[in-house]
Amino acid sequence: MTDVQNYICGMGIISSLGHGITQTKYALQKGWSGIGPLTLFSTVANPPLPVGEIPGSIDSGSLPRTHQLALLAAEQAIVKCEQSPDAVVMGITTGGILTTEMHLQKKAYDPELYRYHAVGSVAEEIARRYRCTGPVITVSTACSSGTVAIKIAIEMLRAGLFKRVLAGGADSLCRLTYYGFNSLQLIDPEGARPLDENRRGMSVAEGAAMLLLAADQPDNAVAEVLGAGLSCDAHHSVTPHPQGKGALTAMQAAIKDAGVSISAIDYINLHGTGTPDNDLSEAHAINTLFPGQKPLLSSVKGAFGHSLAASGAIEAVVSAISVSSHLVPANTGCRIPDPDLKLEPVMQPANVPVDCVLSNSFGFGGNNAAVIIGALDKFDCSISTTKIESLAILGCACVTGAGTTEATMANLSKGAACKGIFSVQEISKNLSPRAVRRLKRLPRMALSLALAAYESSSRKENPSSVFLGTGWGALSETYDFLTGLFETDERFPSPTDFVASVHNAPGGQIALKFRSTGPNITTSGGDYSFEQALLSAHLLSRDINESFFVMGVDESHAVVSHLFDKSVVADDILSDGGGSFCLTRTHDLSELHIKLAFYENTENNHGVISSLIGQLGGPERINASYGILMVGIPGGDRREGEKQLRTFLSLSGFKNPLIDYRKLIGEFASASAVAAVMATKFIGDGKIPTLFCNNRSFRLDGKGALVLGLGKFITAVEVLRR
Amino acid sequence: MNPMEKLLNELKVKIVEILNLIDVHPDDIKEDAQLVGGDLEIDSIDVLELVIMIEKDYGIKIDNRDLGVKIFATLGTLAGYIHENAVELSN
Repeated sequence: MTDVQNYICGMGIISSLGHGITQTKYALQKGWSGIGPLTLFSTVANPPLPVGEIPGSIDSGSLPRTHQLALLAAEQAIVKCEQSPDAVVMGITTGGILTTEMHLQKKAYDPELYRYHAVGSVAEEIARRYRCTGPVITVSTACSSGTVAIKIAIEMLRAGLFKRVLAGGADSLCRLTYYGFNSLQLIDPEGARPLDENRRGMSVAEGAAMLLLAADQPDNAVAEVLGAGLSCDAHHSVTPHPQGKGALTAMQAAIKDAGVSISAIDYINLHGTGTPDNDLSEAHAINTLFPGQKPLLSSVKGAFGHSLAASGAIEAVVSAISVSSHLVPANTGCRIPDPDLKLEPVMQPANVPVDCVLSNSFGFGGNNAAVIIGALDKFDCSISTTKIESLAILGCACVTGAGTTEATMANLSKGAACKGIFSVQEISKNLSPRAVRRLKRLPRMALSLALAAYESSSRKENPSSVFLGTGWGALSETYDFLTGLFETDERFPSPTDFVASVHNAPGGQIALKFRSTGPNITTSGGDYSFEQALLSAHLLSRDINESFFVMGVDESHAVVSHLFDKSVVADDILSDGGGSFCLTRTHDLSELHIKLAFYENTENNHGVISSLIGQLGGPERINASYGILMVGIPGGDRREGEKQLRTFLSLSGFKNPLIDYRKLIGEFASASAVAAVMATKFIGDGKIPTLFCNNRSFRLDGKGALVLGLGKFITAVEVLRR
Repeated sequence: MNPMEKLLNELKVKIVEILNLIDVHPDDIKEDAQLVGGDLEIDSIDVLELVIMIEKDYGIKIDNRDLGVKIFATLGTLAGYIHENAVELSN
């Protein structure tokens, strides 16, 4: 074990206040605001509202705007670093949606146009550009995404997995969020005035910020990430807890994680969106945490606007500027502080010594994150590395075209395929009609899966946390929102659809159902989304004593699945489903365990299969440990995937049965979650259906399974009996 | 049936339909019962969906939070406001 710290050794930023650290610092020093009327796209029904739009032209190529913003910020962050980052972690809420909206509005249905739609494609593009061969994680937890990404990145360093992680967030302006927040009546027509007594809402913005984090102190270190904390309100899908309970928990967790005292906090960078509810809720939390003297505090969202997933990363950069340049930014936009908040925001930029900043980010689904940034070498926040360990399986469940777990396993044993789409009425059978009246397909599947996994665990305690992977998020809600927007000349898009369109809406519903107030993470990385969720669970469950959910789920959509997912095109039958686990770190509660054993990018990584075999312990251990290989080859990458499989079989000499599971359950991004559940069931039974073993009986004799993901990334999930 | 009764009945049906209150019969919505946060579990997002319906069907825009709280207090207050301000009643 070695001690690690989290040094910020490179930063990049692009926002409504400008491009680069120097411009940003200058604008903050002057107390400027980047908020002005929208010009990026035209509005039909009403005059443009104030937004935080990036000035000037940034277009240089065919990538969607979010990707370009992220790459511009990454370039700045990494410019002084000669080595590639070991991993990339991004917070993204809408990915290529600005481009997608334009094509959907024109009813242009060529899949090539939607190539970069996925939120996960931003981080993949950065990884490709900077030759990162390690894991790529995309967090999509609405407005807390950027801060959650930083938390995951520091836990990667603390786990001793990597030395350099590139982390941040990006989101461009788009119709979905511009009209979505407007449909919720959360836009201040005069521009955001956080903490003001007359505030009426936020200003939607765009931007990107990236931080290169390193475990060893480099010469060019700027500041340190001392720690971060996460929580979930489990209160409402949009409205924050009125007393700021979840916000308080996240701040307390961050302070504990950083190992600093409350009195060490010099400045609080508020989430401070300018909506009446957010500012009041956050003020309650801060007044509870600091009953006496409060640190200096301000919200910069009246300056930048609210750039959603980017905001947490942008404000981490602002916090690093604050501790390295002793600058406390003003609460721009606020004229008369609201007396009900009982806070005294910094009204003018101040040059005062600052060593420690607490920065808050809260999002839909009651998703809260707080990060603490400290001046270099002022705090001892070193943590001993803690290796990733397997997680005990308390329960699991799946849904496929064949139905629930029992029907799926029964079909498998008969050799019948499980492709197709299970009816939403059947999926909803174990859910209360009132509780799901506003939910469409994806959140219903997620809730139903969570409930079934929980019930199969036979545990009384509610799981406290949720780690959910989804390749494409809520397709129905996103499509319905945009269709409603276009069909009504931008006048009547549905607020319900907007709220439910965020990738983390299903995770938020699970938290509401189970009152799960721990971390609530949604990851989205195409066919590897479930593996990203599992990796996040490994990294973030260090302090979770209760059980928690890890799952992967995706819905198919009659119009857009074919456009977005090239693997869907490869199959004649539209399929969807998911798999869920109820897990715990308490090993002796179950004989069955799950672990993400490998996750690497195949791009620029020629020896990847050899390193997989090495990581799994070599051919001998592979044959001794795994009685069955569940192989996932996404239809869109079939040729490459089959080549990778041949290499794996040849190098490992694997002789036991193999199931090419997408041929049975169909093409959908989180198919590997279903495969992991199937593997768990096989190991629980101690045998594999004879059909998969040349019609001979095959007993596992205590052996486990390897769920191998092939294609753009190579992933390996072990399910073992201990 | 007088115009107010007609409007009340019309709104009951619309509320059940738009908010997908599949376990509620329109007649279960009482004129004087608390509309938001009451037994029907109608919340702020539901209110915004109803705001859209009211603008679409009755030509009335409600974008003031304080006024909204008063208008959506009960079905009766909502119908009263629509009755006074409607540009034209829907079919």
